[in-house]
Amino acid sequence: MTPAQGNGINTKWIGLIAVLFGLLLLASHGNELLKQLVVTPGSAAEQGVPADCREDELEEENLSLLECELLVSNVQIILASSPDWFRPAMLLFSTLGSLFAVFSIYLGMSVVAQSKLGSISLKACFGGLLAIDLLIFVAASNTGPLLRAQYLWPTLLWFFVHATLLAAVITSLSDKQEVAE
Amino acid sequence: MSRQLPRSKVLMHWLIAASVFFLFISSWWMLSLPLPSDIFTYRQLPFQLHKNVGITVFIIIIAMIAIRIFQKDKLIQEQKSRLEKLAELDHVLTYFLIAACCISGYLSSSYSGWETTFWWLVDLPAWSEENDDLNIFFSDIHLWTCWALLAVIALHVGAALYHVFKNDDVVDKMFRL
Repeated sequence: MTPAQGNGINTKWIGLIAVLFGLLLLASHGNELLKQLVVTPGSAAEQGVPADCREDELEEENLSLLECELLVSNVQIILASSPDWFRPAMLLFSTLGSLFAVFSIYLGMSVVAQSKLGSISLKACFGGLLAIDLLIFVAASNTGPLLRAQYLWPTLLWFFVHATLLAAVITSLSDKQEVAE
Repeated sequence: MSRQLPRSKVLMHWLIAASVFFLFISSWWMLSLPLPSDIFTYRQLPFQLHKNVGITVFIIIIAMIAIRIFQKDKLIQEQKSRLEKLAELDHVLTYFLIAACCISGYLSSSYSGWETTFWWLVDLPAWSEENDDLNIFFSDIHLWTCWALLAVIALHVGAALYHVFKNDDVVDKMFRL
């Protein structure tokens, strides 16, 4: 049995999946961070300023007048559905999520390169990501239906991705311990 | 065991990977923000960041192409299998499409009349006056080259997964820092 195989488990794939999903998660949390920075309470959309829909801009973006007006409504939806605590909470969770995503990329790369699983760090990383997903899920579920529709499903998907990875790491490690014994 | 790649090359690869995913996701949501005006400034930061990350990716890609050309002269040309030739084609296509996405995006922005300040430090030159037709033309090129890039990236990731599930050491060198 090669070191990369554990007890029937190819540990390299855990590393590659950790890197791949880490990259996607980093991009996802980075964009969420940016969205929370841009869509701020008290901004123009919340003050009820009508949309500025010039004809040349509509043509450039291939938008109808109604769609252009709904772009403002889109921001209003986010602002109207967000309780006061939601924005700071999401800024915190997205920052933490970005850091953990970088950590998972680094650890995943080590796993593929060395065909070894660093037990504590990997468990901590995926456990941390799982906790962040849970916090986002709880936070989003305590907002209105419009934000719940935006956040709950993708967060649930991420939760199961990280749960799968954590389970794979735990299984692989316990298999290795059994082999060693 | 596969040969060790220079650390800079590995870092550039992963930096581009993270940036490209960031660019795709940002492009999907930032266009749902209200059209820009003096009052509606929601798009300012995301668009500037999108352009800055894109230009940075372009600079890194140029550096990677230069390294690849330089190293190719040094390497002994070996007989390549069909899969290796396909992988090389995928790499060339990826480089080409990333460069095409970046250039068309910059030109589209340039003709839209919006200024680009590289990381809020250096004002980049506008190529000409505002021109809606050219803006739309380059915007379309940007759109389609980026969709093509996403397809090539899917192929690239699929190939990496194939090698990892096969448990050979083809991709290992890209994971060693």
